[in-house]
Amino acid sequence: MIAVYISFPMKAKVFWQLKNITMFFPGVVALNNVSLDIYKGEILGLVGENGSGKSTLIKCLSGIYQPQKGEFYYQGKPVKISSSMLARKLGVSTVYQEFSLVPTLTVTENIFLGRLMKDKKGFVDWGTMYEKTKSILDTLKIDIDPNKIIYNLSVAEQQLVEIAKGYTANGSLVILDEPTTALTAPDIKRLHELLRRLASTGHTIIYISHRINEVIEVVDRIAVLKNGELAGIANISEITMNGIVKMMSGRHIAEHYPKQCNVQNEVILKVENITTENGVNGVSFEIRKGEVFGLAGLLGSGRTEIARALFGVDKITSGKIYFKGKKVKFNNPRQAIEAGIAYITENRKTDGLFFNLNGPKNSTTAKIKKLFRSNRLRILDLKKECKIYDESNKKLKIEPMSKYKMVGFLSGGNQQKVVVSRWLFSEADFFIMDEPTQGIDIGARLEVYNIINELMAASKSILLISSDYLELISMSDTIGNLKFGRITSIKDAKDVDKKLIINSSV
Amino acid sequence: MNAKLKKKSISVSNFIGPLIAALLVAVVVGFTTDRFWDLDNLNNLALAVSIIALLSIGSTLVIFIGGIDLSVGSMIALITMAMSTLLKFGGWPIAAGLLFAVILGAILGAFNGVFTAYLRVPAFISTLAGLSIFRGAAFLFNNGSPIFSISENFEIIFYGKLFGTIPLAFIYVAVFYIFFILFMKYSKLGREIYAVGGNETAAKLSGINVKKVKFIAFIIAGAMAGVASILMASRLNSGSPNYGSGMELSAIAAAVIGGASLSGGRGNIINTLFGALTIIIVQNGMNLNAVPTSLQGITLGLIILIAVLIDMWKAEVAELFKKLIKKKV
Repeated sequence: MIAVYISFPMKAKVFWQLKNITMFFPGVVALNNVSLDIYKGEILGLVGENGSGKSTLIKCLSGIYQPQKGEFYYQGKPVKISSSMLARKLGVSTVYQEFSLVPTLTVTENIFLGRLMKDKKGFVDWGTMYEKTKSILDTLKIDIDPNKIIYNLSVAEQQLVEIAKGYTANGSLVILDEPTTALTAPDIKRLHELLRRLASTGHTIIYISHRINEVIEVVDRIAVLKNGELAGIANISEITMNGIVKMMSGRHIAEHYPKQCNVQNEVILKVENITTENGVNGVSFEIRKGEVFGLAGLLGSGRTEIARALFGVDKITSGKIYFKGKKVKFNNPRQAIEAGIAYITENRKTDGLFFNLNGPKNSTTAKIKKLFRSNRLRILDLKKECKIYDESNKKLKIEPMSKYKMVGFLSGGNQQKVVVSRWLFSEADFFIMDEPTQGIDIGARLEVYNIINELMAASKSILLISSDYLELISMSDTIGNLKFGRITSIKDAKDVDKKLIINSSV
Repeated sequence: MNAKLKKKSISVSNFIGPLIAALLVAVVVGFTTDRFWDLDNLNNLALAVSIIALLSIGSTLVIFIGGIDLSVGSMIALITMAMSTLLKFGGWPIAAGLLFAVILGAILGAFNGVFTAYLRVPAFISTLAGLSIFRGAAFLFNNGSPIFSISENFEIIFYGKLFGTIPLAFIYVAVFYIFFILFMKYSKLGREIYAVGGNETAAKLSGINVKKVKFIAFIIAGAMAGVASILMASRLNSGSPNYGSGMELSAIAAAVIGGASLSGGRGNIINTLFGALTIIIVQNGMNLNAVPTSLQGITLGLIILIAVLIDMWKAEVAELFKKLIKKKV
């Protein structure tokens, strides 16, 4: 364990102190002797691969887990965080990846959830709460109407409300777990500005993310966890992105996006002027065999909507699609799958996986009839199912126990690979990948990128949608820039500058 | 080797719980009365369990897709009345009457299915409407009076024995359960039922015709109500608009005691049989001990609660047992 202790602005006071935090679950050491000082008013980045112990550490601080060994010091005094209630009393406010907002209530109701203000007669005092919410949102420069129902807000706005909620609860230590997964570049910028303002008013922030390039833009110091140990901690001015990646995984950044080029001349998909009812507005593009076509654009610019239209989920009101040289019209996903299209959805939990089924069963759902013993005997061959799963697993390297485990018990990376295995099984030629690396660690990401390369080498094609611009530019051959449901430009990925995409999308 | 072992233990643990529950109540009831293990009583028990066991196959499938069917009890009333009318007054041959019962059941199931799967009325509502409609329709026959003595020797269907020893009702249960266990495991539709119950959106995006799968589940539930109706009618050689009242709840209880999750996608058909056995054994035990009706209802309700609690807190209960055992050692 190499722990380099560097004090953030030398004069800053130690706010929280973690000493030798050790936590083990049956069979696994999740945290091993982690010691960490957190200074008042700093933004501390916490990075590490999946399973490195980030979440566990946060849950210890939030009172959800009690570590078997180690002490917490709050402003120099030893404290026991034995419940999440106690953590909140100590000013720890955690914003988890899964939001805790109630979608059917208003912003005000959510912010005051569980501690509604009452007037003298004991009635709920809506007026004061509205005013208070308004002033909080104003202070944080969040431009959202307090009377709006959460359901109607964008994901980014919900994130901001979530943070405002933590702020109102007098959180002196705000912990953000993967706050940018669902956000686009301008939203991330807004979020970062908000965090800066919070820090300048004396709040302390712990910022957890997979996206190191975003973390380094906002944090003062960065702590790297690896295999449950603190691999290092440094002032952000004193470390490079390369250094961080190396500390996290032992890999070099150039290996981070192993792009291979396999573009052939034959066009597999040609889209002419398609329009749908929900936001695709006369879009045209072509994808060749072996090509990764990246769609850049903000959340809501029509990226996912194009995917849905191509896959037969949304109705196309005008325009033509040619697939493998033939004019096609898919009325439902079944027809698209039959034709050889695969759709890796944005959210594997809500619309990708069957948590009640194990790995092999999840991987065959898109073409169950391939398991028939024969055309006549339409009985599933379960042995064949397992055999095919083992076979594809040689390439995908999914956790071996996934053969028996329900997929809900697998890590995010393994889950994503199960989704990929489904479409390999369906023998698709054209893959739509919507945020394929969302919420998975560097190791698993790398494997997804390698799968992309292998698919391209096998003359398949991909429509790649990603909010991670670095990933999008690095892994695509061509980039189509999307704005208000229209493609504004199509360029060779090599000619696209990261900043340019962000700017032209705004 | 290790993995194989683990696989086995996983699949065994899937149905061991409900089986133990059924055996446990049998042992307990056996202690309270000597008559329980009498061959005559066991025979009665097999007969009593057969109707609920068959009916609950359909209820379980509907629960698997994340739905619920409240109408199957009323279907029994309507089907026995319609079938009895045709057999007694219409002069239909018995075989035709039996076929009619199953087909009518399937049609009634399709009625539920259209509203639930295609017109998106929540299953609870559409089958609640079915519960009322089918029961009402049953009273349209024979001026709302029961029809007795449908046909000579009609009871044989229920009370008959194969080779003079094995009760026919027992064979029906065995045949249908084996068929549906295999159906769920080895058929495309069985797999699709689990998929739809597990995640409807994912199922749709995997190219599964979600509406059709749901529709068929309701049709099967109706057809199984038709099968249950045949046994019900032949048991007393009669049809009655009051038959099957409350049976939909017993059928759901059997599925739930068997560990089927009401949110869909989880459970095993075979466990529904153990669930049905548990219910019937408890009822039988209480009848043998002359427990008043009021207490019977309360006991049955408590058993449903306990079964579901144990299923929900399986891991914690196992942990508790481990601790207790350790302390003793």
